[in-house]
Amino acid sequence: MATLTINNAGKKYGSVEVLNDISMELNDGELVVLLGSSGCGKSTLLNMIAGLESISSGDIRIDGEIVNDIHPKNRDIAMVFQSYALYPNMTVAKNISFGLEMRGVEKEKRDELVNSVAKMLQIDHLLNRKPAQLSGGQRQRVAMGRALVRRPKIFLFDEPLSNLDAKLRVEMRHEIKKLHTSLKATMVYVTHDQIEAMTLADRIAILKGGVVQQFATPAEIYSRPANMFVAGFVGSPSMNFLPVTVAQQGNEIGVHLAVQYQGKSENQFVPMRNNDKLSQLLGREVILGIRPEMITQLENAEKDLATLHCDVEVVEPTGADTLCIIKLAGKDSIARVSPIHACAPGESMGFALDISRACLFDPVTEELIS
Amino acid sequence: MANRDRLPGTDGKGRYIGRFLIYLTLAVFAIWYLAPLYVVVSTSFKDLAEIRGGALLSLPHEFNVSAWHKAWSQACIGVECTGLKPYFINSISMSVPAVLISTFLGSITGYALTKYRFRGANIIFSLMLFGCFIPFQVVILPMAQTLGMLGIANTVNGLILVHVVYGLGFTTLFFRNYYVSIPDDLVKAATIDGAGFFRIYWRIMLPLSPPIIVVTIIWQFTQIWNDFLFGASFTTGGAQPLTVALNNLINTTTGVKHYNIDMAAALIAAAPTLFVYIVAGRYFVRGLTAGSVKG
Repeated sequence: MATLTINNAGKKYGSVEVLNDISMELNDGELVVLLGSSGCGKSTLLNMIAGLESISSGDIRIDGEIVNDIHPKNRDIAMVFQSYALYPNMTVAKNISFGLEMRGVEKEKRDELVNSVAKMLQIDHLLNRKPAQLSGGQRQRVAMGRALVRRPKIFLFDEPLSNLDAKLRVEMRHEIKKLHTSLKATMVYVTHDQIEAMTLADRIAILKGGVVQQFATPAEIYSRPANMFVAGFVGSPSMNFLPVTVAQQGNEIGVHLAVQYQGKSENQFVPMRNNDKLSQLLGREVILGIRPEMITQLENAEKDLATLHCDVEVVEPTGADTLCIIKLAGKDSIARVSPIHACAPGESMGFALDISRACLFDPVTEELIS
Repeated sequence: MANRDRLPGTDGKGRYIGRFLIYLTLAVFAIWYLAPLYVVVSTSFKDLAEIRGGALLSLPHEFNVSAWHKAWSQACIGVECTGLKPYFINSISMSVPAVLISTFLGSITGYALTKYRFRGANIIFSLMLFGCFIPFQVVILPMAQTLGMLGIANTVNGLILVHVVYGLGFTTLFFRNYYVSIPDDLVKAATIDGAGFFRIYWRIMLPLSPPIIVVTIIWQFTQIWNDFLFGASFTTGGAQPLTVALNNLINTTTGVKHYNIDMAAALIAAAPTLFVYIVAGRYFVRGLTAGSVKG
């Protein structure tokens, strides 16, 4: 049970800056996911928290105490690795108890702790096996057991599910979530999978090029992404970005959208709400970010939504929903419709646009405007 | 499908002729290489009269081990007629510690070079690698001076030091390349678990090392046991290793040349390395290729 504070932390290898001025604060019992594509520095940050990499600037505190120069073993943390990093020469029981043994815990106490953790993770029948005799999922459990048995202040997970197959990954994701709920431990979890991040996290920190792009709850990151990178990274299929100009029609402010309808390009005006903010943007070019589920079939849609008719180029059924690819503002955009209402490719159909939830981005800085 | 679609030589007469030529060539080469061994072994069991008869390739008339006996305990080496026995013991008491120490040091150096990538680790490794390519002859003079200064010239301990120092480059190379294939995450996990440099070495790295230990021991034992130059350069008389004694035995002649004793002595000198190969040989190839495949 602990808090973790990162103050202006940076990491340099020679003159190459890998992490730049990272600051975040984790409350007691919070699960924070570091999300980013490979090479963004998320694993480096995790290693810095663990003490496996030195901190070039700034400081990292656990429970308020600066740990920059404290050896990993004295930081009271545990880490689960992507490769599991089980000791191949030891049995499962020895693997789990190794950390306790190094800390001088007595044999009887060790056995007791190992047994209780093994039971919790349902690996108690595997205790005498070697890691090579285990399946991927079992190895993952042992790796988690090794972390759990010491009851550390902070748990660190380095892409723990990346080596598992899709089905097992979902199962283990649930396990980790349950574990976090029952332990109420502070956890830092690194992943490049945005679904893992969204489902597990209390808060997500999205990194790109060694800089935190946004540090917020999953809901906020999804609905109000700080910039186009975040908006495009989170959500699947990803957000549609449409270059548009803010315009006025009558006393309504909105955007003009070029729509492909029956082979011809039509310009359609889509009114937007909260006119006050938008009035300052009149005439400016902006990027309209709209998620696929905000473009749905006209049928059963709420009355006050903007409507469009356009040609559907490609239809991709995914089971629960069908994705229609349509041309909006000259860009291929994805609409998510119910399979019953989806038309055949090449035909045209009506869509409802929930523009009130859409985001506007600055085309130059790519930052969120409103 | 027509025959012309098949690979050439897989069908018809051509195939048998081809096979025959291949096996004939192999047999000729096998005989070519095995003939000297055969001559050495058979001569060692002959008595002198039979050798003088001149039938070099014939089998011994009767199985006679007296030449082995003489080579071991009676043959004259220089003026001392002690046989090879004391020198055999010299060689054992030189090779065993030298092999074990150089293997252990190579292992711990390889571990430090791969898992604790300190500043300059690569330079140190390159320099050690460079040490593998320095010819023996280059180090003889400085090494003689060093041994003199340390007061261990003309002793078995001096030879142990020489072989440990000279072998370190090779053993480090072996262990370093093996440890590179062991994931760094293991060391990270153990560090977080609270184990230090030596604990990780004893509890994790060393238990994973048997294949490469076997390779290194075979390599080092063969090198050290068979070494002649260092033994001849740094020792005289009673401290000499077996290889030097063998040379002296063969060069010490009083009238008649005892080929049977020479041959038996040569076989005695070669026996330990053969023994090590037979016992540990099957690990050798396995260990040499380990690391190329993760496992």
